[in-house]
Amino acid sequence: MTGAAWPLLVHLAVAIGLAAGMMAVSHLLGERHRERATGEPYESGIVGTGELRGRLSINFYVVGLLFVIFDLEAAFLFAWAIVAVEAGWAGYAGMLVFLVLLGVGLVYEWRQGALDWGRTRRAIERALAARESSRRPVTLAGVPFERGTPVGTKGRR
Amino acid sequence: MSGETPMVLLPLGITAASALAVMLAAAVRGPTPRAATGRAAEALSVLGLAAALGSQLAVAGAAPRRVTPLFVFDGVSSILGAVVLASALAVVLLASAYLRRLDEPWEEIYALLLLGTAGALALTSSDHLVGLVLGLETLSVSLYGLVASVRTRGDEALEAAMKYLVLAGAASAFLLFGVALLYASVGTLELPALTAELSAGTPAGSELVTVAGLAFVLVGIGFKLALVPFHLWTPDVYQGAPAPITAFVATVSKGGVVAFLLRLVAAAGAVARPEDGEGLFVVLALLAGASILVGNLLALLQRDVKRLLAYSSIAHLGYLLVALLAGGELGPRAAVFYLIAYAVTILLAFGVVTILSRAEQEAGDLDAYRGLFWRRPILASAMAAAVFSLAGIPLTAGFVAKLYLLLAALDGSRFGLVGILVVGSVLGLYYYLRVVVAMLATPEPETAASEPVGASGGVALAGLGAVLIWIGVAPSAWLRILGIWLGG
Repeated sequence: MTGAAWPLLVHLAVAIGLAAGMMAVSHLLGERHRERATGEPYESGIVGTGELRGRLSINFYVVGLLFVIFDLEAAFLFAWAIVAVEAGWAGYAGMLVFLVLLGVGLVYEWRQGALDWGRTRRAIERALAARESSRRPVTLAGVPFERGTPVGTKGRR
Repeated sequence: MSGETPMVLLPLGITAASALAVMLAAAVRGPTPRAATGRAAEALSVLGLAAALGSQLAVAGAAPRRVTPLFVFDGVSSILGAVVLASALAVVLLASAYLRRLDEPWEEIYALLLLGTAGALALTSSDHLVGLVLGLETLSVSLYGLVASVRTRGDEALEAAMKYLVLAGAASAFLLFGVALLYASVGTLELPALTAELSAGTPAGSELVTVAGLAFVLVGIGFKLALVPFHLWTPDVYQGAPAPITAFVATVSKGGVVAFLLRLVAAAGAVARPEDGEGLFVVLALLAGASILVGNLLALLQRDVKRLLAYSSIAHLGYLLVALLAGGELGPRAAVFYLIAYAVTILLAFGVVTILSRAEQEAGDLDAYRGLFWRRPILASAMAAAVFSLAGIPLTAGFVAKLYLLLAALDGSRFGLVGILVVGSVLGLYYYLRVVVAMLATPEPETAASEPVGASGGVALAGLGAVLIWIGVAPSAWLRILGIWLGG
């Protein structure tokens, strides 16, 4: 055991030494500055607003549907894969039919906008248009939405 | 798979494929309503159902053939499959004008209609309990969505859908538990093997399990057919659902289940009469008698035409059960003939209701029909023909079907049931004629919106009316086809 383990210990020591050394060297040699956004969690991103424990809409129904599509698809595919050769072309055709059915379901969901959750650009445009047409308060993913509200980068495609 | 096997699966395949195509049309549409894709969905549904019906008629009359352990394609499946497809086609044609008046997307309604039809079609050919459950669930899950599908119907439709969801879920649970119990005691799920095992005598100690299993399966079937102890959902769902969907519930969803019941009774009757299977027959006779009496008595109290037709459908399924129980040569044939006549009649009645309705305000109340003869004579005549046929007045399909049914029941010496049937028919006459009286009354100077019939709705109504009179005046051709397809 001890005879076989020493290369591993050397590897561990080298890895830790390398990481610690790089951090130490950059600490000693690196430039120091203290700007406005330096202490923020994301120096190069969006400034966080609000509580950490804000309420999120998880779109349970959509999650459920997507679960059915992808998770069950995988489950059945694994079951089929075990007997793929024995099941032959008939089994293959059956599996193809199953996949086409799920595929059509996915295309339908996509086109309905069911996959655009959260504050994507399209959802925002839709919400703004709805607000223009009716002066009722608009919610986006369950959160009241106003024009000044900061918007994430998720939807920038 | 042999070479010819795919041919018998063709109607089912075409129906399911058109449901997929309609789904894609809805996907092309996206989240906002578009008239073009709506019409495309409508055309796809009509073409798909017509093609499925054509292929169903083309393969009908072939020798019985078993495809996988679940399905058997024989006379019963070909004739009831044709009934299911033709009814669905009529519903789609009648729904066209109603759905086009909606200001919300309606492609999904066609997709669900086609899926439900596929489920009913699978039911007509399943003689395996797994096939029964599969078909029934495909049908039911589509119906949950369909009942609630028109949002402008408001709370009424949601309430109906909720009731149907909860009660049908409970009924499905009963059915599945019954299937499990039967499997536990007998060890097979195939209907012929099941009844053979049962008649050979159940192993000692498991009689109770077997009886409970059969009873639970009957609860599930009774719920779908709205037989009396399980009928409570019917009036609310018929009233709350959009009118074309009510027509679908009344015909397509019943046709498939009747096919299975036909197989069950035939299998039980073939091996078990007169002693062993008498239990099943006694239970079914009780259900039939209760359905006829309760359905007709409660229909007397209704002021809403959709509720009235709901109670009348309970009674009519009771009549149909009488034919099933009669057994012998005539029984199944009378039952199938009755189902055909009933489907044509109720489609015509709900067709008129559909055409007179808007989603926000359906022509439910009897007052909406007051003076209809003077305002819209052709529609009123169609409604009158349907109502006369439901009441069983000569020259209509309902009369011939009821006559045939009585002959079969007398042939099978079911005198008690015949008595109840006669009492029920007399009661029925009163409330059916009330609809006609309302239509003949002097019209009030009201400003009821006059909805256009629409081309496809007109074609469907004319076709249904013609078939109704044709069966009523010259039924021999229909009886001959029935004789050929059902054998004997």
